Amino acid sequence: MASGFLPPGGATNGGSNGGAQAAQQQQQQAAPMIREQDRLMPIANVIRIMRRVLPPHAKISDDAKETIQECVSEYISFITGEANERCQREQRKTITAEDVLWAMSRLGFDDYVEPLSVYLHRYREFEGEARGVVGLPPGGSARGGAGDHHHHPMAPPPVKSRPPGAAMAPHHHDMQLHASMYGGPPPPHHGFVMPHHHHQGGQYLPYHYEHPYGGEHHHAAMAAYYGGGAAYAPGSGEGSGGSASHTATTQGGSFENPFASYNK
Amino acid sequence: MRQARPYSGMFCGGVSARTGPHALPLARIKKIMKRSAGETADGGARMISGEAPVVFSKACELFIAELTRRAWAATLDGKRRTVHKEDVATAVHNTDLFDFLVDVVMADHHAGGDDGEDAAALE
Repeated sequence: MASGFLPPGGATNGGSNGGAQAAQQQQQQAAPMIREQDRLMPIANVIRIMRRVLPPHAKISDDAKETIQECVSEYISFITGEANERCQREQRKTITAEDVLWAMSRLGFDDYVEPLSVYLHRYREFEGEARGVVGLPPGGSARGGAGDHHHHPMAPPPVKSRPPGAAMAPHHHDMQLHASMYGGPPPPHHGFVMPHHHHQGGQYLPYHYEHPYGGEHHHAAMAAYYGGGAAYAPGSGEGSGGSASHTATTQGGSFENPFASYNK
Repeated sequence: MRQARPYSGMFCGGVSARTGPHALPLARIKKIMKRSAGETADGGARMISGEAPVVFSKACELFIAELTRRAWAATLDGKRRTVHKEDVATAVHNTDLFDFLVDVVMADHHAGGDDGEDAAALE
């Protein structure tokens, strides 16, 4: 079962390894009664997300589900720990969305930063709309996250000064849409998004996320994305199975298929 | 009541009462964050912006998808059709990015079986 129920002997066997586990053990010792439903993501949600990338005939054993569940919690802890340290250094009390994004890019999850920034921006936009304050910059200081413009060396310069599309494939057919959505008042923290070494071609995953603005067809777009995910999983599997060549480039490449199917 | 918003189109799962448009419950994410975040310098509790779990809800999706894809690659390597935790462990061991999970998959092995099984799984 889950490691939360490990006997003490089991929990101490990883002592030679990293600090994350040590921290977790400490927490488990300090608060041994953390309920499983507080410690892990709901299994049904995890399975749903897993199924999206697996082909229909794939099966998932219970132990694999539980392991992934554990991994998700560890992932959140891992990133949060890094974000927390940054807040500590800068003597801030609140971990913001930007801290989380920053921690991700620092810990190697650079590829996530851009789609997440787009997602966050969209969230702010529609939250603002829902609150009837759409005239304000989305996610303005009222939300706490945008108030602190820390200019960390990691953070690239704000996108404001960048012409829309400068970093993306020039012939992307959603260019104008993108420009019209983002050409106005720039999102306050969109500036986080672009680690420069990522610009490697037209199959740039994050811009796929622009499509929901296109209206009706966005479900189809996501279906293509996830459906494509299922379809290309075996292929990427053959490529990555035996080797340790899992680089950002490989990941970027693995997203080509859904794009190909979508861009017709 | 919360309604479907266009950004919910980023998920296939649609909108549920429990998670809103997010694929994973924000409250749960926040709880896990709270436990991982320490205290502030003056001993107060570390606060977490409401947006941070929103970012995580999407990040965890990307993370689960990536880990699952890599585990599935290991499954196929073994000419199987069922993803086992050993496949997840293989994915973790083969991916530098997932080094922080090594203890998690190890701990699971120890919880689940004896050392012999462990060694086989880690190959």
